[in-house]
Amino acid sequence: MSDAFKAADKIRISDTPEEREFELRAHIGAIWSGGRLFIGMYTFLLASLVFSYFYLRSSNNGILWRPNHVTAPTAYGWTIYTLTLLAASMAIFGQARLRRGNVSEWQAAIWVGVVAALFALFMQIWEFTAVPFYPGSSGYASTFIGYSVMNILTIFIVAYWLETTVARSHWLVKEFRGVEIQFSKHPSAQSFRANVASMTYFMGFVALSSTLLFAMFYLL
Amino acid sequence: MTTSVEAGVEAPKPPAFIDIKPRRGQNGWLSQHVGTAALGGFLGYILGHWLGNFIGSSYPYIANSGQNSLAVLLALLFMVVGWLLGIGALNHPIAKILGREAKGEVEYTGWTRYFRYNLDHKVVGIQYVVGVLIFFFTGGLLAMAIRTELLNPTVHVFSADTYIKIVSEHGTIMMMMASSVVVGPLGNYFVPLMIGSRRMAFPRIEAFSLWTFIAGYFVIFSALAYGGFPTGWTGYAPLQTQAGPGMVSYLFGFAVISVGMMTAGFNLAVTIINYRAPGMTWSRVPVFVWSIIATAALLTLASPVLTAAGLFGLLDKTAQTSFYVTEHGGSSYLWQNLFWFFGHPEVYIMALPGFGIVGEIIPVFTRKPLFAYRIAAAGMIGVALLSFFVWQHHLFQSGIDPDMRPLFMLTTELISIPTGFIFLVGMGTLYRAKIRYEVPMLFCMAVYFNFLIGGISGVFLSDVPVNVTVHGGFFVLSHFHYTIMGGLIFAFFGGLYFWLPKMTGRTMNKKLGLWHFWTMFGFFNLTFFPMFIIGLLGQPRRVFSYARNLQTLNEFSSIAAFFLGASFLIFVANLMWSQFIAPEKAPANPWDSLGLEWQTATPIPHYNFERIPVIMTDPYHYSEVGAPALADFGNGPPVHASSAVAAAIEPEQ
Ligand code: HEM
Ligand SMILES: [Cu+2]
Repeated sequence: MSDAFKAADKIRISDTPEEREFELRAHIGAIWSGGRLFIGMYTFLLASLVFSYFYLRSSNNGILWRPNHVTAPTAYGWTIYTLTLLAASMAIFGQARLRRGNVSEWQAAIWVGVVAALFALFMQIWEFTAVPFYPGSSGYASTFIGYSVMNILTIFIVAYWLETTVARSHWLVKEFRGVEIQFSKHPSAQSFRANVASMTYFMGFVALSSTLLFAMFYLL
Repeated sequence: MTTSVEAGVEAPKPPAFIDIKPRRGQNGWLSQHVGTAALGGFLGYILGHWLGNFIGSSYPYIANSGQNSLAVLLALLFMVVGWLLGIGALNHPIAKILGREAKGEVEYTGWTRYFRYNLDHKVVGIQYVVGVLIFFFTGGLLAMAIRTELLNPTVHVFSADTYIKIVSEHGTIMMMMASSVVVGPLGNYFVPLMIGSRRMAFPRIEAFSLWTFIAGYFVIFSALAYGGFPTGWTGYAPLQTQAGPGMVSYLFGFAVISVGMMTAGFNLAVTIINYRAPGMTWSRVPVFVWSIIATAALLTLASPVLTAAGLFGLLDKTAQTSFYVTEHGGSSYLWQNLFWFFGHPEVYIMALPGFGIVGEIIPVFTRKPLFAYRIAAAGMIGVALLSFFVWQHHLFQSGIDPDMRPLFMLTTELISIPTGFIFLVGMGTLYRAKIRYEVPMLFCMAVYFNFLIGGISGVFLSDVPVNVTVHGGFFVLSHFHYTIMGGLIFAFFGGLYFWLPKMTGRTMNKKLGLWHFWTMFGFFNLTFFPMFIIGLLGQPRRVFSYARNLQTLNEFSSIAAFFLGASFLIFVANLMWSQFIAPEKAPANPWDSLGLEWQTATPIPHYNFERIPVIMTDPYHYSEVGAPALADFGNGPPVHASSAVAAAIEPEQ
């Protein structure tokens, strides 16, 4: 664009070990706070749904909140909920194994989680074919459809985060032969562990929030 | 990387997140750029439309209605995905599935770098400048159309129906623009420089926010092609439910924009928390950065509510749910509540960054420390928190439980206290100051002038008895134009005049700048002040006709509006002239600012600082004899910018 911009190429920046250490700490901190902030954001997303549920329930416009107490297919509900919980707990229990140094057990646990989440995802989508009410037939019906769509997103995030993390662990082990990703001080290994910690924390959040939403939509 | 067996920080090739050696990019036409993004968007659009029609044809209610909202939604959705795929936003998310770590930032060179998925926050900042100006000028043209129609109460240029659609499109485009107008361009560009960081925490998310923001432009613009939407920018149900497919563009457009807002805020918040240079304690963080982190909190936490509200609306439109359909167990109030629960924090998303800019600029031109810096920072956080508790003041007249009104009247009046503090911080800085009336400073002073009117009219509006008489009319219209345009947009232009010399290495022409300022300031007030009176005399918003006795005031306002529109031509001329046609090299620190962003080399190298600076004090020690050194830049003795600058400018006192 300008000569001024071309000159930008000329200054080459170098770095010192301290600076790398600083960047690494900032990066780890970013993964930590990013994970927390993401939970905050997701809470507001789900809270919008919860608010809608109770708002329509208490308004009960046209006595059409939930005529005849229609309920979504509970068999699907239980399956999806159990699988989600399984995926989340695999991450949580897996992390304990990883911290004790057992990478392959962690990897196995996460892969189980991935499969569970993908299966849950499939069920959550397939459930649309089994819903026994018209989407616009009641307030409950509408919020249920909204819940299903949001849950597709949630489970997708669960599957994606689990899968990318475990895939990264395989890649790291292959790429840095001899580096123990569970203990090493290598920046990539530290970043990996920070990511695992943030992920696990998020999975705990998913376990809690899906329990709440499951109870609201299938049990209440 | 394959050779590194040793586990240590000294790995031969460090991972991207700590590396400072950008890769060379492929600059060829065959790589990904805005052209491939457009192609991807186009193909996605076609595919989505076809798919929607295919699905829709098996549902009689769609096939018989002649309106397939599902096809519109899928077309727009696939368009956005295709656009993101085409630009390369999804390359890394896809590579991650295979376990790949992020590759280093690519350093593109030449002008084509502005047309790529560029991770450099400085390039993204400039891309955002262009992006928001496109939004702004599109919305501005629509405003001219509105004022043309309102020249006369009975002679019409547009039909009533077209008119409301123009108003709606104008309002929505402008609100979308305003939620990113400072955070996107100046936030992305300057936050890392101001906190002494070499990079953003999540450069891919930062670039993602930009390209979703641009995609949002196409989505909301598509509303016009689908026959527009009649609800105004607030999208109220039940009109929302009854409207045609243009409403889908509105709902989906806001959903897309909300994703852009969330991602932008997420990256900035995390960066500010973690990437502050050593010594950059919270009490030394520039006030602009404080405003950005307060805004980022609102962007990240309020925008998801808009996403959800949009999703529910889209389900109503396409899957026949009844979230907002009162007769089917839903509630139109649900939309109103969700929308304003987002909407009022959004209002402060549109205010705080402006205050940040002003707080940053006036110490430079008064040569005084920012008065009561801590109160400014605390005020911003206070406003951000409180803004979640006032939303129902938009619903006073909607038929909510009257007993709720005193509560929200109280919270709304409470929020004007921290807002007032922020205002007074500026006044305290201006008090007995010797002011240098440069163009950026004039814009800042205009912000105070305009916001005084805008903010005080807000306090009146929060008063329920007053609200009864003026709600839904031109008084409200005037109120928020005074706060948003008079506050935020003036601050944005002030910020551009102030920082462009650093961003492009070229100063804006002062003479044209003064012309721009005085015409914009004068005609802004001439356009919008009469609207307070028009409102008090009872003219409702969004209606193309009005009482005959209001014609003179409306004509006056319209003519002023045309000149106001023309004032931006002066800005464009100035931009073209001083940046491209007859560029003049800017001095390294044209305004003698102590801000950290001015202490790096110009042009700014790819990773900003030759050494990560060690910060030694806050950047507001103007005119202070024996002020502490600003920072240690690691390439010489600590920089005492203040004493040098102060000696040069400080008149004898
Ligand atoms: C002193 C602080 C403020 C107070 C007390 C205040 C109060 C209010 C009230 C009570 C309303 C509702 C009026 C009605 O529709 O009946 C309102 C509307 C509005 N305000 Fe403010 N306001 C303040 C500052 C701001 C700021 C800083 C902005 C934006 C930067 C803003 C933007 C808006 C917008 C966009 C609307 C109207 C939305 C619409 O109906 O389309 N306000 N304000
Ligand atoms: Cu408000």
